[in-house]
Amino acid sequence: MRIIIFFCLIIIVLIRLLTQTHTWREGDLVRISSTVSSEPSIIRNKQKLKIANLNIFLPIFPQIYYGDYIVIEGEVNGSELKNPVIRQLKHQTNFLPNFRNKLLSFYKQALPEPHSSLVAGIVIGSKENIPFDFWDSLRRTGTLHVVVASGMNVTFVATFFLSLFIGFFSRKVAVILAILGIWLYSSLAGLQAPIIRAAIMGTISFGAQIFGKVYSALNALIITLFLMILVDPQIIGDLGFILTFGATLGLIIFESRINDKLKFVPMIFRQGLASSLAAQIVVLPIIFYYFRSFNILSPLINALVLWTIPIIILIGSVAGVVGVLLPPLGKIILLLAYPMTWWFTMIIDLMSN
Amino acid sequence: MQISWRYIIGFLAILVSLTWLAVLSLPDQNLHVVACDVGQGDGILLTYKSSQVLIDSGPGNKIVDCLSRHIPFWDREIELAILTHPQLDHYGGFAQVFRRYKVDTFLANSLDSSSSAYKALKEEVAKQKLKIINPMQSMILRVGLIDIEVLSKDDEGGGVLGAFDSKIDPNEFSIITKISFADFDGLFTGDMPKYISDRIADQIKLNGYNHIEYLKVPHHGSKNGLSEGLLRSANFKIAVISAGRRNRYGHPHKDSLDLLQKYGLKIFRTDEQGDVEVVSDGKSWKVR
Repeated sequence: MRIIIFFCLIIIVLIRLLTQTHTWREGDLVRISSTVSSEPSIIRNKQKLKIANLNIFLPIFPQIYYGDYIVIEGEVNGSELKNPVIRQLKHQTNFLPNFRNKLLSFYKQALPEPHSSLVAGIVIGSKENIPFDFWDSLRRTGTLHVVVASGMNVTFVATFFLSLFIGFFSRKVAVILAILGIWLYSSLAGLQAPIIRAAIMGTISFGAQIFGKVYSALNALIITLFLMILVDPQIIGDLGFILTFGATLGLIIFESRINDKLKFVPMIFRQGLASSLAAQIVVLPIIFYYFRSFNILSPLINALVLWTIPIIILIGSVAGVVGVLLPPLGKIILLLAYPMTWWFTMIIDLMSN
Repeated sequence: MQISWRYIIGFLAILVSLTWLAVLSLPDQNLHVVACDVGQGDGILLTYKSSQVLIDSGPGNKIVDCLSRHIPFWDREIELAILTHPQLDHYGGFAQVFRRYKVDTFLANSLDSSSSAYKALKEEVAKQKLKIINPMQSMILRVGLIDIEVLSKDDEGGGVLGAFDSKIDPNEFSIITKISFADFDGLFTGDMPKYISDRIADQIKLNGYNHIEYLKVPHHGSKNGLSEGLLRSANFKIAVISAGRRNRYGHPHKDSLDLLQKYGLKIFRTDEQGDVEVVSDGKSWKVR
């Protein structure tokens, strides 16, 4: 039965892949009106936008935020929009993007760099403000994945909502609300491949609870893979998409087995080492293929820093919600995360030199 | 109950380590003058205990990293920010600084700049409701134990950014300040041209300021800034040049370097050393 379902899924995805049309012709002069659906990244003195599968490079001013409405003109040149000109730019006042911007601005006011952007990256996967040198250190130590909102965040959000609602509603209703919470958080975090992957898998896992089915992570991963390609075939070429699937596959297959063999490692570092080794088994060849380099010490570095992540998520999100309403109190709470971000940045500095 | 004990112990461990980190980052009793490595531009931080003055902000976000390195993590306030004149290599980082630190006072010219980046800065200043003051000659601002005296000419913009346009080079509007911390003095010169260097030299002699230890070399060491008259006016010891590595203007110019050497100044350059930090207890000084 399962084989037949997977077979049908493969056929559907193949048809979708073969029939997709390329939207742009080389040299087309186009005008695109769109909402900015992912956070613009700042690379040196340019901001990079991705709209309608085109990379657009713009000057730093005016700054463009996730959720803004933009009208832009330019010439299609491969996957890039050449000579882009902004015709219209409206900042969003919708609740979610607005809340996200307030949250990021709170983090900036509360801690110095790179601590504030580290918290912002860990809590909602924001990468816009990470100083270039720190970004480079994360990349070289193989710890860049911590500033990508992903599975751990989704688990955290779902657990939080579930324990919040379970006191007031039946288990079924609480689970449904937790699923809504997952998607609310995912839109807040900017709907990039890793977070969508985690949100769909979280939904399947919680959905299985409602229907009283046994949840199989591997099945959920495969279904998620098909669903995402079905909706957006071009996502196959997205490195974030490839890495999140590779890492999750590694975790599902190897993590608990490796963990059993690491009884000699102190508990605080064991989980981080096991998950990092498990993910690396699948991810390492991909990284090597794309970047022609990898850090052999990466699992060790990950083991040293990964224990801080759940604590930073916890303190960072509580402080963030409080801080948007009552900044002075939020700042005091966020200071509690400083020992962890200090440890994290100290290890990364040490290891990247 | 075991689990809740673990949380309590964890919480206490965090509090203890936070306290230690705060204690270890407590500032000393000295004035630190840091010429930040901001690339081609100026960005200079004066910090004494929990008082900070920032003179210019470089062209981009690099100033933020410098502030993070030199201000304790729990201090989120800069008492005074000074923009010497509206050119990108001096104001480019301010928008980010204002978003991150509470700035009490912003000393700037009312000269406007038509660039979109300056417009963005003005919007940020309005959004944060910053207190703006325009410079008046001989005005003295006091931040902690640091005195800042304006030597350049009056500007009567009435506390507004971008009140007037001018065809004259913005460099000529540079706000020039002399700072003192007990017996240690510094001259901060923005991008002032040669003829203003001479005028400032006259003022220095007139006021009897014959011992100024620190000179921020005008205009990133360009030959159109520093004048021999200026070097003769006070007994300068340290020359700090803020310029970018392999910048396209060829700053600092050989003539300026020769002149500084002729008068026996020790030269420190951000393009060669990164952040140049001068530490003074109010009498003696050393360079880090």
